[in-house]
Amino acid sequence: MPSFVFESLLWWGLPLVGLPVLIHLINLMRHRRVEWAAMEFLLQSQKRHRKSVLFKQLLLLLLRMAAIAAVVMMLAQPLLRNKWGAIFGGARTHHVVLVDDSFSMSDHWADTSAFEQAKGVVTRLAASAERQDTPQVFTLIRFSRAGQIARGTQPDLLESPIDAQFPETLEKVLGPLVPSQTAAGPVEALDAVDGLPAKGADEDRIVYLVSDFRAGDWREAAALRKSLERIATAGSQVHLVNCVDAMHQNLAIAVLKPAPGTRAAGVPLLVEVTVQNFGPEDARNVSVALQEDGHARTPVVVEEVPAGKSVTRRFPVMFATAGQHELAAQLESDAVTTDNRRTLVVDVPPAVEVLVIDGDARGSDAFFLTSALSPGGKIASGLSPVIESPRYLRDHPLDRFATIFLLNIDRLDSAEIAALEDFVRLGGGLGIFLGERSRAAFMNDSLYRGGEGLLPLPLAGPEELIVDRLEKAPDIEVSDHPIFAVFAGERNSFLGAVTINRYFAAEKNWLPEPDSSTRIIAHLRNKAPLAVEKQFGEGRVVAFLTKASPLETELGSWNNWARGNPSFVVAMLELQSYLSAPKNADPSRLVGTPLSIPVDTALFTPQVRFMMPRELGGATLTVDATTPVSPENNEKLKDGEKAAPADNIERVAVLNETDSSGIYEARLVKLDGSEVTERFALNVAPEEGDLRKLDAQALAGELQGVRYEYYEAQDINYNPQQLAGFNLGESLLYLLIAVLLAEQVLAYVCSYHPKPLEARAK
Amino acid sequence: MPDSRRFLHPEAIGRIARLDLRARHVVEGFLAGIHKSPYFGQSIEFLQHRQYAPGDELRHVDWKVWAKQDRFYVKQFEEDTNLRATLVVDVSRSMSYGSGPLNKYEYGATVAASLAYLVLRQQDAVGCVAFDEAVRTKVPQKTKRSHLNSIIQALDASAPREKTDIGAILRTVAEAYPRRGLIILISDLLVDRTGLFKGIKLLRQHGHDVLVFHIMDDDELDFQFSGPTRFDGLEIDEQLACNPRALREGYLESLNAYLDEVRHGCAKNGVQYKLVRTSEPLDGALATFLTDRRQMLRR
Repeated sequence: MPSFVFESLLWWGLPLVGLPVLIHLINLMRHRRVEWAAMEFLLQSQKRHRKSVLFKQLLLLLLRMAAIAAVVMMLAQPLLRNKWGAIFGGARTHHVVLVDDSFSMSDHWADTSAFEQAKGVVTRLAASAERQDTPQVFTLIRFSRAGQIARGTQPDLLESPIDAQFPETLEKVLGPLVPSQTAAGPVEALDAVDGLPAKGADEDRIVYLVSDFRAGDWREAAALRKSLERIATAGSQVHLVNCVDAMHQNLAIAVLKPAPGTRAAGVPLLVEVTVQNFGPEDARNVSVALQEDGHARTPVVVEEVPAGKSVTRRFPVMFATAGQHELAAQLESDAVTTDNRRTLVVDVPPAVEVLVIDGDARGSDAFFLTSALSPGGKIASGLSPVIESPRYLRDHPLDRFATIFLLNIDRLDSAEIAALEDFVRLGGGLGIFLGERSRAAFMNDSLYRGGEGLLPLPLAGPEELIVDRLEKAPDIEVSDHPIFAVFAGERNSFLGAVTINRYFAAEKNWLPEPDSSTRIIAHLRNKAPLAVEKQFGEGRVVAFLTKASPLETELGSWNNWARGNPSFVVAMLELQSYLSAPKNADPSRLVGTPLSIPVDTALFTPQVRFMMPRELGGATLTVDATTPVSPENNEKLKDGEKAAPADNIERVAVLNETDSSGIYEARLVKLDGSEVTERFALNVAPEEGDLRKLDAQALAGELQGVRYEYYEAQDINYNPQQLAGFNLGESLLYLLIAVLLAEQVLAYVCSYHPKPLEARAK
Repeated sequence: MPDSRRFLHPEAIGRIARLDLRARHVVEGFLAGIHKSPYFGQSIEFLQHRQYAPGDELRHVDWKVWAKQDRFYVKQFEEDTNLRATLVVDVSRSMSYGSGPLNKYEYGATVAASLAYLVLRQQDAVGCVAFDEAVRTKVPQKTKRSHLNSIIQALDASAPREKTDIGAILRTVAEAYPRRGLIILISDLLVDRTGLFKGIKLLRQHGHDVLVFHIMDDDELDFQFSGPTRFDGLEIDEQLACNPRALREGYLESLNAYLDEVRHGCAKNGVQYKLVRTSEPLDGALATFLTDRRQMLRR
C-alpha cells in the first residue's frame, strides 16, 4: 500500500467521490414535467437504447467519480514503495552521503565555508529522513577516507539506522570534521559505494555526492561518468549537491624547490618559489614570507601574478653546516589557506664528491678539470674532486659520488664498464673528455655498443679542425642547453676566444635518432659535433669530443679552452651541476601518500619512530619495519607458501597517517643505540587549489547520459516523503487529464449537440 | 419574406383572438401576396384584366389587348362553384401540445378556418367535421358566406380532448359525405397508421380527393430537450423519466420511420400530403390547397 504525504486530506477528500451520484439523485428529483404527444417514438427509443444508454451513463458517472478520486489522491500525494517492500511492508531507504573533504572545500566566504555548507546539507538530509515512517539508514563517507574503505576501514557511518538518537550520533561524527589536506577526488568515493553491502531488492538507495564540483575533477571525467552510470544502473538515485556559490580569489605556493646547482655546506644555493594565482583577478604585490630552519628571512615580493597564471622567483640561501635544512614559504591568508604554505627539506652534504678518472698517469687532464671544479683558496665551490685511475671503478663503490669524469681513457675492462653503467643507470652523471689516448675502435665497441652503451655517438677518429683562421668566427657554437645557459644573451666573448685544433669526428653520416635522448649540444665551427648528451637509465652522460687539457701532446695541442679562459671554469661547473641533477632530485611527497623509510636491519633496529609535523603538536608514532611484499612474494603466497623473513632483506617502515602537510621526522635507532633522524616535507597538491568550478549546465554537458539530480546546497530542503519512494503525484496528474478527456468525449457522445445550421435555424 | 407573409406568421396570427378574423387575415394576406400569381379562378365567366407577370400561362394572355396597346394582359375569370370541400379537423388531446405561439390545435383550426374562408370566397361549398375518438361536431357543406361562422363555431367548440380513432372517423366521413369532393384532413396523425390508411383508402374509393395537412410541433420534429425530464403521455397512460439527450437519436429514428410510413402511405393512395410545422407561416397550407385544387380541375 502506498503511503501519503497528506493523509488527512485523503479522509476529507474521498467522500467527495460520491458527489456525482448525489448530483444525479438531486437531478432525478428536480426534473421537469412535459405532457407529450409523441410518446410512441420516445418509448420506442427508450426500449431500443436502454442498455447502451444505461451503460454510457454509468460509465460517465464512474469517470466523474474517478476524476474526483484522482484529484484527491493527487493532492494527498501517494508514495509508491518498492513492490517487494510493499508486500512485506518494510521497504527501507538507504542514504549514502559522500562528502567531499578535499582541501578545496575549505574555501570560505562571509561567515561560512564550502565544508560547513556540506555539513549543513548532511544534517538537513538526516533530519528529513528522520521524519519518515519507513525504515531509513544512513552511510557517511568522506572522500579522503574512500581509499581506506577499499582496504577494509569502516566509513564514518555505515548503515546507521535513523531514529530518535541519530541526530546526536550524527552531530558527534560531523562536529569535529574539518576539510582534509588531501586532493581526494570523487572517483574513489563513488567506487567506495561498490564496496558497501549490496543493494537489496527491498531497498531504495539514494547516493548523494556533496561537493564543490571543481573543474579539475569533473572536466572530461570519463571515469566519473562511468562510476555514476554504474550506480544509476544498479537502481540507485544519484543526487549531486553543490556547496559553493561562486569562484573566490586564491593564491597558492605551487613550487618550492632548489634550483639546479651544487648543494654543499657553505655554498650559496638558489631556491625557486612559484606563486600560482587560481583566482579570477590579478594579484599585485604578493608577499611570500620565508623561513629557513625556523627563522624568518626577508620575504620575496612578487609584483603581479595575473589571474590563472604563475610566477616563479629565485632567492639565494646558504647553509653553513651540512645536514638536513628546512625551508618554508608562506602566503597571506585567502579563500583557501591550506595551499598557502609549502615546506622543503634540503639535504646539504659537507661537499659534493666528484670522481675524476684520468687515463694518463701524469693526470694533466685531471689537473685542469679539478682546478675548474675546485679552484681552492677563498672560492668554495662545494665540490671535492677525487682523481683516480680506471681501476678504481672496479674496486670501490661509486654511489658516494655525484659525478664521474672519464678523461683521455684508452680502455676500460668489462667490470669497470659495468660498474660505470650501474652508476649512471641509478642516476649518476658521467662526463667524458677524449684525448690522444682514446681509441675509436674501443670506444665504439665497448662504450657505444651500437647505441646501447654509455657513449652517445660512434666515433671515426681524431681529426684536425681545418678552418680559415683569418675569418673571425668562434670555433664553438653552443645550443640552448642548461650547461651553456649562462652564456646566453651575452656577447660570448670568452667562448669566442676558444680555439679547437683537434677533435674526434663522429662516424660519417651519424645523426642522433629523432626519438632518442641523444642530442648534440655544441658544434664546432665546421658543424661537426663537439658535445653530445644522452640519457642512460636515470642518469645523464655528456661527451666532449676534444681534450680537457690544453697542453701539447704528440699530436699537438687539442684546444686552448682551459688555458686561462674563464668560460672553461663556468662550463665545467655547470656541466657538473647538470650531470649531478638526477641524484639531487627532490621527490615531491604529497599529503595522504604513505611515507616509506627503508631500514637496513644490519645497522638499525626495526622500530622507527615517526614524529608528526610540529603544527600537529609533534605527536609520535612508532612503526615496525616490515619486509615489503614483492610481486614474486605475492605469487608464492598465492601458492600457499609463507614468505620467510630473511635477515639480509631490507625492510621498510611505512607511515600511513600522513593527512597533514608539514615536515615529518623519522627517527631510526642504530644498533649501538645512537639515533639518526631523517626529515621529509609533505605538501598539498597545488592543483586542488584551483577553484574554477562547473556550473549545472557545464556539469550536464560532462555527464551526458547519466541520470542524476542536481541541487544547490542552499536549496536542499528535502521533503521527507519524497525520500520514501516514488511519488505518484505527477502520474496521477496525467491520469486525471486522461480521465477528464475521456469524460468529455463520453459526455459529448451521450449528449445532443445541434449542428451549426440546425442551431441557427432554432 | 414579402411584407404580406409577415402577417401570416404564427406569432402574428396568435395575437388575433377570433378565429373568423384570423381566417380573414390569413386569406387576405395570402391573396395579397399572390395577386400576380396564376392561382385564380378557372371558369368561363370573365372577371377582369391583369397585367402579365412572369409565370402566367401564355394561353391566358389577351392577344387583342396586346395588338391594340402593345402590352401584355391576362384575362381573369370567375371561379366555378363546383367544389365541395370538407374540413376534417383533429381535436384530440395530442393536438393540444405546442411550444410556440400556437399549439397544434390552434394552428390546425386556423388553417381550417382560412381554407373555409377561401373556399367560400370562391363560391364553393365547404363543410367541417371535428373529431377525436368520435365525430364531435359536423357542419354540412354550404356555399353561403355566412356559413363560415358555423364552421368557426364548430372549431371553437371543439377544444382538444380524448384520444383519436382515425379509422372509424374517416369511415364515418365517407359515409356522411357520399358525393365526390375534397376531403381536407388536418391532424397530427399520432394515430394508428393501419386505421389511417384504411380510412384514406375508403375515402378514395368513394371518389374523394384527399388533402392531408400533417401538423407537427418543432419539439416533436426536433426533440431538442435537455436536462432531466419526465414525459407524461397525452393520449396514452405512460410516463418516462429520462435524459432526453440520450434518447434523442432513437426518438428521431422512430419519428423519421413514422413520417416515411405516412408519406408513402399517402402517396400510395394518391393523397396530397403536406407536413406543416406550427412555427411556419400559414400560407404554406393555403398554397398547397390551391395547387391541389388546380390539379383536381385539370383532371
